[in-house]
Amino acid sequence: MFSSKFIGLVLTGFFETIYMTAVASLLSYVIGLPLGVFLSVSRPEGISPKPALNRSFGTIVNLLRSVPFVILLVAAIPLTRFILGTSVGSSATIVPLVIASFPLVARSVEASASSVRHGVIEAAQSMGATDMQIITRVILPEAVPSLITGAASSLITVLGFSAMAGVCGGGGLGSIVINYGYYRGETGIMYVLIVVLVLMVQAIQEAGARLSVKSDKNSKNSE
Amino acid sequence: MNQGGTTKHYAVVLADGSFFVWRINMPENDVIIHIEGLGKIYDKGKETEVTALDGVALDIKRGEIFGIIGLSGAGKSTLVRCINLLERPSSGKVTVDGEELTDMDPAQLREARRKIGMIFQDFNLLEQSTALENVCFPLRISGVSRKEAEEKAVGLLNRVGLGDRTGSYPSQLSGGQKQRVAIARALASGPEVLLCDEAVSALDPTTTNQILDLLQEINRELGVTIVMITHEMKVIEKICSRVAIIADSHIVESGSVSDVFRNPKTEAAKKLILPSGGVEPFDGSGRLLRLVFDGTTTDKPIVANMVLSCGEPVSIVAADTKQIDGKTFGQLIIQLPSGSGSAERMMAYLDSEHISYTEETDV
Repeated sequence: MFSSKFIGLVLTGFFETIYMTAVASLLSYVIGLPLGVFLSVSRPEGISPKPALNRSFGTIVNLLRSVPFVILLVAAIPLTRFILGTSVGSSATIVPLVIASFPLVARSVEASASSVRHGVIEAAQSMGATDMQIITRVILPEAVPSLITGAASSLITVLGFSAMAGVCGGGGLGSIVINYGYYRGETGIMYVLIVVLVLMVQAIQEAGARLSVKSDKNSKNSE
Repeated sequence: MNQGGTTKHYAVVLADGSFFVWRINMPENDVIIHIEGLGKIYDKGKETEVTALDGVALDIKRGEIFGIIGLSGAGKSTLVRCINLLERPSSGKVTVDGEELTDMDPAQLREARRKIGMIFQDFNLLEQSTALENVCFPLRISGVSRKEAEEKAVGLLNRVGLGDRTGSYPSQLSGGQKQRVAIARALASGPEVLLCDEAVSALDPTTTNQILDLLQEINRELGVTIVMITHEMKVIEKICSRVAIIADSHIVESGSVSDVFRNPKTEAAKKLILPSGGVEPFDGSGRLLRLVFDGTTTDKPIVANMVLSCGEPVSIVAADTKQIDGKTFGQLIIQLPSGSGSAERMMAYLDSEHISYTEETDV
């Protein structure tokens, strides 16, 4: 079972999974970070209330969040073909991954940004800061520990989604589990890959928690 | 605005050898903050409106420490937030240093706010930034280079006594130290006015005194006009020259601290000056008198003499002495005996001793 061919297969799957998770998470943050900040500052009690836009974007985010990922995976096939010319493989999986993840990222960023104490923002306003300066110099820096915790959760969710994409020929560890564990009934391989996935999730979780604590100058643990 | 008057020079030498010089034109009675017809109504939706301020008029003079005191809910925090327009007033005008803030567009307002420092009850420091970075913040957002901002911030932190804590995060500082950082931050942009919103309410009495001393020094050295919002009379007594008393969304009384203290006209003022929480007349029948000593008579045993000469005892319901402008003021609430004629005899005695008193209907 542990032939060099098998080890090669697992390694390829492992790196494909890391590739999909990393690129999809990055792109989700490219969209989700500004969107999340906007959702926070445009709230009625935010620094720049825009009720109508806030509600519109909030609705889009909620709609995308309500579509189960497996369904989104299939529904996104035409779009993926249009963008990349194919709907198979790990790069193709990134399209539905981003569509499913950026709304989660946006809500997570929104929660982090909204947890910054209003008094600190008010102090910056009293010093004549612009809204953009408040976002870049107050809200984001103050929210860093919370943003890191949120990023760890988002990464884990994207990792889980990427495994699910194996159903549709998405590549990565998920595909191997489905092809070998499900279609061929080689449960041994399946269990090995489950352990790999669990370890990956644990690593992200642990790294996220440590980074968050380390970055938090407000906690007594960091000196 | 600055016609006439005298020009004063203020110099501050910082620990690192650099110094700043302020040249301030100080005409007599130069008004720096002018507020008129100020109203603030909070719309709580569904036709529920809460009036926080109504027809407030106030003139604060350049270089003074002006106190605004009121019980919680009186509207004092709303009032101070209306001075730099953190709260937009529903009506009225706010003018600071000759510029009408209520008439400005957002960009002009931001520019004007840089001349109005503000400190808060819970400090509102950037928790993820060091003391130095916090003080640099107002400079950096107005385009000062990092190097220049840091030099100035170190000087300011030295001035507030935290020269050795520049690299500390707020969580590593005590409440008093955090407020010192906040003061240094508020002074960084060289403001004309410093607004203090319950700035010492979260601090213990010793730290409160230290912070008040620091504010007084800053007022004297830099000529910064200070507006103190507080619910504590002792803060007003310690550093303010004039005071306004706010109650139920209105300014009910204002004037020099010693005048308002000596002769409080309104119920709100009386409550603040001699808090009567939990003080009850011993029985409901005797008349209550508030005696006010103005610093000249307190060494005489007035009450004891009155009791001896009238031959009847009185109950002391509440008593307090305060130092204002270096003079001792005392207030005493006594309950007169209910027997026929004795109250009148005692009041006649007080008149003969020239002690001012007012009869209290509701302490």
